[in-house]
Amino acid sequence: MITDLVWLAFLAPLSFAVAATVPIRQKNSAALRAALATCAAAIALLTSVGAACWVGIAGRTHTGLIGARGIGFDLYLDALSAAMACLVAFVGLNIILFSRNYLQGDPSQSRFFQLLCAALACVLVLIICGNLFVLALAWIVTSLVLDKLLLFYPERRAARLAARKNAMIGRLSDVALILGIVLIYRSFGTLDYTRIFSASEMALATHNSATLNAAAIALVLAALLKSAQFPLHGWLLEVMETPTPVSALLHAGIINAGAFLVLRMSSVVSISDIALDTLAVIGAITGLFGSIVMLTQTSIKVRLAYSTIAQMGFLMLECGLAAFPAAVLHIVAHSLYKAHAFLSSGSVIDLARASWIPSPSEKPHPARILISIVAVLAVTFVMSRIAGASLLDKPGVFALSAIVLLGLIDLVANGIDERPNAYVLTRVIVLAFLTAGVFFALQIGMEHLMIHTFPFAPPLRSIADAVIVIFVVLTFGSITFFQASLSTSAVKRWTNLYAIVANGFYVNTLLNRMVMRTLIRRATANDNTLTILEVDDMAAVR
Amino acid sequence: MNTSPATCNSDPVPNRAALDRAISEACQRIAPLWPLKHFVAVNPFLGFADRSFHSTCAVMHRVARVEMLMPREFYTRCLATGEIKDRDIEGALLKTPANWRVPRTIAEIRAAIECPQTQPEQHAAHVATVAEILDALAGGDRNTSRVAFMVDEISKWCAAYFDDGASAWQLPSRDFAPYAAWRASMMHDRNPEVMGIRRFRAIVATLPVDPTETIRAIIERLRVPQRAVSEYLYQALLDISGWASYARYLVWNSELYGKSDTTLLELLAIRVAWGYALFLQRDDHAFISAWEAAMRDAASIPLDERLGDDPELCLRLVLQDAYERAYQRRIIERLSLESVQPSSAVPTRKTLQAAFCIDVRSEVYRRALERTSADLSTLGFAGFFGYPIEYVPIGHIRGGAQCPVLLTPKFTVREALQGESKAKEDAVFYLRRLRRRVAKAWKSFKVSAISSFIYVETFGVSYASNLLSDNLRLTRTVSDPNTDGLDPSTIKRLEPQIDPGELGGRPTGFTAEQKLIMAENALRAMSMTGNFARVVMMVGHGSTTVNNPHATGLDCGACGGHTGEANARVAAMILNNAEVRSGLRTRGIDIPDDTWFIGCLHDTTTDEVTIFDRGEVPASHEEDLAAVRAWLQRAGSIARAERATRLGLAVDNSLDNKIRARSRDWSQVRPEWGLAGNAAFIAAPRERTRKIDLGGRVFLHEYDWSKDSDFSVLELIMTAPMVVASWINLQYYGSTVNNRVFGSGNKALHNVTGVLGVIEGNAGDLRTGLPWQAVHDGTDFVHEPLRLSVFISAPIAAMNEVIAKHEGVRNLLDNRWIHLFAMDDRGQISYQYDRTLNWIEVKQISDA
Repeated sequence: MITDLVWLAFLAPLSFAVAATVPIRQKNSAALRAALATCAAAIALLTSVGAACWVGIAGRTHTGLIGARGIGFDLYLDALSAAMACLVAFVGLNIILFSRNYLQGDPSQSRFFQLLCAALACVLVLIICGNLFVLALAWIVTSLVLDKLLLFYPERRAARLAARKNAMIGRLSDVALILGIVLIYRSFGTLDYTRIFSASEMALATHNSATLNAAAIALVLAALLKSAQFPLHGWLLEVMETPTPVSALLHAGIINAGAFLVLRMSSVVSISDIALDTLAVIGAITGLFGSIVMLTQTSIKVRLAYSTIAQMGFLMLECGLAAFPAAVLHIVAHSLYKAHAFLSSGSVIDLARASWIPSPSEKPHPARILISIVAVLAVTFVMSRIAGASLLDKPGVFALSAIVLLGLIDLVANGIDERPNAYVLTRVIVLAFLTAGVFFALQIGMEHLMIHTFPFAPPLRSIADAVIVIFVVLTFGSITFFQASLSTSAVKRWTNLYAIVANGFYVNTLLNRMVMRTLIRRATANDNTLTILEVDDMAAVR
Repeated sequence: MNTSPATCNSDPVPNRAALDRAISEACQRIAPLWPLKHFVAVNPFLGFADRSFHSTCAVMHRVARVEMLMPREFYTRCLATGEIKDRDIEGALLKTPANWRVPRTIAEIRAAIECPQTQPEQHAAHVATVAEILDALAGGDRNTSRVAFMVDEISKWCAAYFDDGASAWQLPSRDFAPYAAWRASMMHDRNPEVMGIRRFRAIVATLPVDPTETIRAIIERLRVPQRAVSEYLYQALLDISGWASYARYLVWNSELYGKSDTTLLELLAIRVAWGYALFLQRDDHAFISAWEAAMRDAASIPLDERLGDDPELCLRLVLQDAYERAYQRRIIERLSLESVQPSSAVPTRKTLQAAFCIDVRSEVYRRALERTSADLSTLGFAGFFGYPIEYVPIGHIRGGAQCPVLLTPKFTVREALQGESKAKEDAVFYLRRLRRRVAKAWKSFKVSAISSFIYVETFGVSYASNLLSDNLRLTRTVSDPNTDGLDPSTIKRLEPQIDPGELGGRPTGFTAEQKLIMAENALRAMSMTGNFARVVMMVGHGSTTVNNPHATGLDCGACGGHTGEANARVAAMILNNAEVRSGLRTRGIDIPDDTWFIGCLHDTTTDEVTIFDRGEVPASHEEDLAAVRAWLQRAGSIARAERATRLGLAVDNSLDNKIRARSRDWSQVRPEWGLAGNAAFIAAPRERTRKIDLGGRVFLHEYDWSKDSDFSVLELIMTAPMVVASWINLQYYGSTVNNRVFGSGNKALHNVTGVLGVIEGNAGDLRTGLPWQAVHDGTDFVHEPLRLSVFISAPIAAMNEVIAKHEGVRNLLDNRWIHLFAMDDRGQISYQYDRTLNWIEVKQISDA
């Protein structure tokens, strides 16, 4: 059978697994391990690209199952899994190349490469497997490996706290995922992707079963917990307690597991309006939360972490609005962007040295928002001819276009200060055109690529959807205008609001306090001399 | 003083004058921290220069429980390898005060070091802060004690207050003075209460508005005994020593310009207020009794000068001394045996004379250059070449101070275009500003709350190529800040404009008279008053690294953490000026008409030297220049080969490429070794050291005392370059012996905060000093923690005069932060400075 060739795709995770586990006894084990990891990444990337070509030529392919009763091991290649595999292998290769020099001399460099390769192997299995049983296994093992990476410097107090928080939320997410899978098995009697997809298509057409609804909600919960969504986002803020490449891997790879689950199971998730609406609402709130808190942060890595939280929220919003191809694009784009942002975070001083303020006074032009709205409306008029989406047709695309509009207003507004200048203005408007053009071209391209991957995007389903879309457009719009007026004196007086936002609405502090208490209980259980701790603990409760 | 608890509790409240003294004493102990945009080396023990080295070790141990010496195993290893010999221990023992509890014979020392280490005894007179008592009660768990939370919160607030452009939405109260701003923020900040610190906002509201009054009120409420107030405050600052150091930098800068500054005092008030809020949380018996005991302990009198209580500390102090004697023994031996007598005959005229910065990295290159030809000579001088300037890049209105941080710039020099009209120059000036405005709008589109979603979805994919090309070292992660916004053709023609002009309402350049004065001073300070070569190079230095937050720390410290390019070019331009030369002639310095000065830049990462203003070189010197370029090329290869070993690279044909690749590598945490290894400072004519391989460990300053009739140059050397070298030396010392406290930790965890410093991980205090990777190669320390040994070729009486006149220099020497030796006219190291202007003879060493 020619589809047996597809088993070759398993080389990608396998090569990483080998690089992670082969014992090396030589003295310069770090250098050897680095070479091994680089080779593994190169093989994985070539394999993934090969798989993508295969999908391009032969279409989606599902290998035969090794197992019984719809549970077992198999591979499933389509545009989504091929794109994700390429992404992970590419980012993995770059992180490995980076870490060779970056961690040189670290006594645990060899162990670092082992953990990195193990994590990449798990993520790749998660992506290319064709069965929910294997996906769940990979899902759980990934978070165990991540735990080890977060504790790469176990002596660091904050690292232990972050790892503990991650573990607690990770376990919750595991439970939700297993629950979802059990419910799917009860409904369809299989965990095999192809059969789940066809069965859920039928289910979508015929009836809306309560079990499937519950399964969809459980999957969505698992995804949300895994993607650092508000209010359980805190652990993501603290992973800077491990070397920079781990942050890059996490923010550009592992964090996408939740979104991947939703996309992979989009046919099941689409059955439930509640599941989609939950995704959209939590995503929108997280997006707003992350992006506004990001504005107040002063350290580069924490700022990047809030940015990831915001972007993950935006991604969930796209999923909730059934804009699945846009979501795939967002995963790929954000991963590449964030991997680079973390690895180059040491350049922030160079960047600041180049970012001197040229205007005589920093005062923005009073009418700049108005001027830019006019300019952007003109841009949109041209662009919307090409995209052509209405609220009723594709709510996701509509919301997205509205946000593009806001972004462009922001861009043009930033080009207009007290003394508007033709040189600056024309360039900014050209950039706005370019942005809009590239944006819609990519969207359309992605929709073509993913045409057979996702269920048909439903038109506006209910009033609830319309409310969500309008809520999103309005709140995102008000944040844009709020940011534009940050330099005005009125906002400067909002000390109270600043305190709330800069502290991330106090959510993470509360969570930390709760997690710390569990850490203390553990310590007390291990050591009965710590009576003072209990006193302190009680003081905290009081 | 009575130390019984009864009396100490009834201690009168400190009066304002006494409190002010205690506060200023505590604040003075903190060393400044320069921001990363122009990071320079600082002596972390600056605040202790008035104390002896050993008593500082004791104070650090007692007050802060901080180590200032290497662990015992380090010295054991040095003894085992024979690096420290018996005679070094012998010498150290001779100088050991009688009251130290330490063995007195070599055999006993060797035996003592084999014994298991005694647990350091609890020092009496330890002054514990509220935070420390809470830590102790929580079994050292800083989460439980909430001390970690306090440090994180203060650090976060400081980052927001001092932020230099990291956040888009800035702290609303940042226009106020720090303490007032903090009170204003904290009235609304519920974070401490969410963490379980009850009534925090209410407690802050009850504190006085005046920071000093706040400190006074809290000291009174806590019943800190009067003797311990200053130490209590110092220890409180140590919990946030990074931000305190940054505040100290702001104070330092204000004072340099004659302004007073209360930033650090106000930060202290914030820290003390936090401690007080934690204090109020606890009314349980365990805490109250622990606190009372701590205050009783604090009231007793410390014995720092005696040290007798801590045999372990004494033993390691003796071994540290022996370790330094071992180094001095080796270098003195080489100086004595291999030093070359300057010939009395009139020296022949050379083709090339090259002046380098005294930086230890120049020593390697100078030696390499001298190997290429006998027709050249080199000399060393502080890399700003005597020109304290503010250099304003084209398009800018203000620039950076390119001079040692002990000075303020005296002149403003703007960057201009070679041989262009004013109109053309203005065009470039305004174009760069306009480009900056477009870039600013674009950047803000990238990072704004909502538009960032669109930016990422649209342009995120393009980062695939950035990742790959950065990893393949084809691109820089971000464009070079020095050339950003300029066309390549423009960049090549940029030069400093030394003639008088005006920029943004300020005068720029030098008047004819100023040029002449500066030129004369610089030449005399370099002992360069005759026998000029045909080509004289002024070689500044800078580094080339990518993605390195501490990049400016590798640039020239004498240029205030900038590259030395501008200073070198200004120096050369002024000395080429015909008017200046005729003026100099009337003042006794005759520069021949066929001498040409050129400004150059030594790239310390790649050991390449760039020659500037080549177009200006007269046709008559083309041949000389060709020879010079050939020498520079060869010297670069030799220097790279020498450095390769330390960088862990094999010396082969691809070495040059490998080193260049290293300078472009965004993942490289050790692009070069900076000044690691520095150990000595020699002020003497180059002939004395020319035949000696000093291994890139020595600051070399040209000095010929016979040309220094009033010893004003000697005074300059001992008060400026020697002090700065000691700052660098002690920074490396601190970062090596205790990187956790005096260094900035692991680069892989660095997180740039407020665009001014780094924290390690996601929170915590700002870090000072050097990263661990700057002193350690993963297997071993690359820097050897040695206090600076200074060798000056000058009459002892003249040196004593300088030491007597300058208290700062005397403190450094008398308190053993620096070892000073005199080099006599035969090049022999004959005397060592002891203390209080006394010198002792150095026994001639003959190693059998």
